[in-house]
Amino acid sequence: MIGALARMPSTLRTFGGSQVSNLVGLLIVAGALALTLQHVLQHSASFFFQILIIGIADGTIYGLIALGYTMVYGIIELINFAHGDVFTLGGYFSLALFPIFGIAEGKAGFGYVIPLLVVAAITMLLCGVVNVAIERVAYRPLRHAPRLAPLITAIGMSSILEGAMYLWRGPNSLHYPDLLPLTRFNIGPVNIGVKDLIVITFALVLVVVFTLFINLSKLGKAMRATAQDRDAAQLMGIDINRTISATFFIGAALAGAGGITWGLYISSVDPFLGFITGLIAFTAAVFGGIGNIPGAALGGLLIGLIRAFSDSYFDSSWTEVLIFGILIATLVFRPTGLLGMRVPEK
Amino acid sequence: MVRARGLAVLIIATFVAFACGGSTGGSGSKGEIDIASDLPTSGADASSGMPTQLGAAFAVSRAGTVRGYSLKFVPYDDATQGVHDPAHGVQNVQAMISNKLILGMVGPFNSNVAKAEIPVANAAPLAMMSPSNTNECLTVTYPYCQAADGFTAESLRPSTVNNYFRVAAPDTFQGPAMADFALKAAPAGLGITKIAVWDDEETFGQGVANNFAKEFAAKGGTVVDRKSYDPKAKSDFHDFLASAKANGAQGIYVGGTSATGACKARGQMAGLFNPDIYYLGPDGIGDAQCITDSGSMATANMYATQGVADASQNPSAASIVAAYTSANPGSNNLGAYTFAGYDCAAILIDAIGRAIDANGGNTPTRAQVITALGQTKNFQGLTGVITLNAAGDQTTPTLQFQQVKPGSPGTWVFKSQFAVGGTS
Repeated sequence: MIGALARMPSTLRTFGGSQVSNLVGLLIVAGALALTLQHVLQHSASFFFQILIIGIADGTIYGLIALGYTMVYGIIELINFAHGDVFTLGGYFSLALFPIFGIAEGKAGFGYVIPLLVVAAITMLLCGVVNVAIERVAYRPLRHAPRLAPLITAIGMSSILEGAMYLWRGPNSLHYPDLLPLTRFNIGPVNIGVKDLIVITFALVLVVVFTLFINLSKLGKAMRATAQDRDAAQLMGIDINRTISATFFIGAALAGAGGITWGLYISSVDPFLGFITGLIAFTAAVFGGIGNIPGAALGGLLIGLIRAFSDSYFDSSWTEVLIFGILIATLVFRPTGLLGMRVPEK
Repeated sequence: MVRARGLAVLIIATFVAFACGGSTGGSGSKGEIDIASDLPTSGADASSGMPTQLGAAFAVSRAGTVRGYSLKFVPYDDATQGVHDPAHGVQNVQAMISNKLILGMVGPFNSNVAKAEIPVANAAPLAMMSPSNTNECLTVTYPYCQAADGFTAESLRPSTVNNYFRVAAPDTFQGPAMADFALKAAPAGLGITKIAVWDDEETFGQGVANNFAKEFAAKGGTVVDRKSYDPKAKSDFHDFLASAKANGAQGIYVGGTSATGACKARGQMAGLFNPDIYYLGPDGIGDAQCITDSGSMATANMYATQGVADASQNPSAASIVAAYTSANPGSNNLGAYTFAGYDCAAILIDAIGRAIDANGGNTPTRAQVITALGQTKNFQGLTGVITLNAAGDQTTPTLQFQQVKPGSPGTWVFKSQFAVGGTS
């Protein structure tokens, strides 16, 4: 690649330079914004705000999932394709737990807040355990293998999880009970549902708590050290295996929470939900800068907004083209993502 | 993005193979004649395919023999990874063609599978009798067929002799009939003047949605919002719903099926719309999965059309319907096309009988069965009196409206039905 670049005439070589590519990237973004603005002006303001809220709700959930992708990539440079299915598993685990705690549709009320949170905690724990087991069985033995090997294994794990859910509850989509209040209210031109607010708040709190944890706690420091230089971290007395396991656990716990939130928000889960949702969250992680934690949250939010606006102001047939176009454009014009990739320093 | 879900599919397929393996048949002295079926009986589509297969199997076991030949039912599943698959259907038809005992098939269930299977079966030739295909271009060449669907009735039949027949009313009736029903003032209709129309970007879904929208606008209604979704990617419909609401829609017509997620949006309406908001669709949403997906919004204001008559409205069918339900109890075994499946198998058996007679009491050729099938006239079926025309359609098919009866679980119940003018 570098050799090929060196053989190119110098005028062409500057095209690959960061200034020109940034400019091209900016022009694309500016064009897209102008086109969106033109469409937005054709509809009412209240519609705009409603779509904005839907986009934020979707985006915060994408952010929750993207965090797991970005953390795992940051620490062992693996794209954990099974992560999207761990997210779906969160929906399935919580559905199985609801009857045990007496939670069912039509029984909404404050009395159910605590059981719901308990179910969420158990689900997060179970998803964490599953992901740690996946890492132990499928990824750890391949840690020193060529990088393609764990990647293929990750795709295989994804299929196994989907197959397991398929066999457990069948291929059809399952109805996820409406447990959140359905009340809606107006603030000026903005019509907001209590459900939207709860979903956004729950996801945001988790993202913030988690970011603080990575930045402030001892384990968070160990994670960052391992991501930076595994050998040096080990020499400093950090247990590498334990730290990597912890990373998988936390990422999966967040994905599990995402699964519950998504289920509550869209009222259904199916075994293959995590495939496309995972790909979108992965795009969000790359968009924000893979390995970068605030970047993943920001990327998720932006992708959620892009998705909602594209679906409602343009044609939904173009939404995936747009989202995966962003993935390609990011990789071509700004491979470090919006906030910069955290590359292990070797 | 092709993913290997091989393990799950393999295991499910094994279960289905064991579940369906038992053959039915009486004792005939002259030998054996097989009737095959090709329906999606695993995965998400099984909720409609399986009850249809059971209906066909029941007709074969009830007949037992035809003119001294024993009858055997040979079911095939055309689902791959849980969804009907044209390529899988073609493999099944090739397997049927190589089995000399098979003289005709019941199926397929889905129009895109029929499009792939008809040319293969036509070249053999093998008689096809579909309970549920509704795509209008499968039988009649309309000017738009090539452009819209990529085929015409002629291009599907290389031998120029028609081998494909069906009992369901084609899509040209489903969309417009629902549009008329929605526009008509209550109590004969719903009295809706503004509606949002969605489709799932599939041949069937887009076809019925376009036919609905065209008729709705032509009769004075307004389509206030027109959207399409990719079933593989779209699971959050809040933005579509917000758009429909902002445009003042009194209801939504969704051209899609439960397997393509057409009823997930209904479940997400809770809170955003009043429970009495209308949700309308073609036969694709008229199944139990749609009611599951709708959750608390599975209200009486959900309507679907079905391309066949309700057998329970036919007094002369009562004893067979009762025998079927006692042999196959449970609401999962009763689908909108169960008795259409029964009728298809019964019509095939009747045609095989006439072909045997025409052949001097000997085993008829497949071509002779096709000729006899095309001459089916005033057949007393459970879903009505059936006469087939040269194109392969019923001369006067019946269209049925169904409405959700809320409960736990809710069910689709008969609302009304009427004969529609068939193609000549």
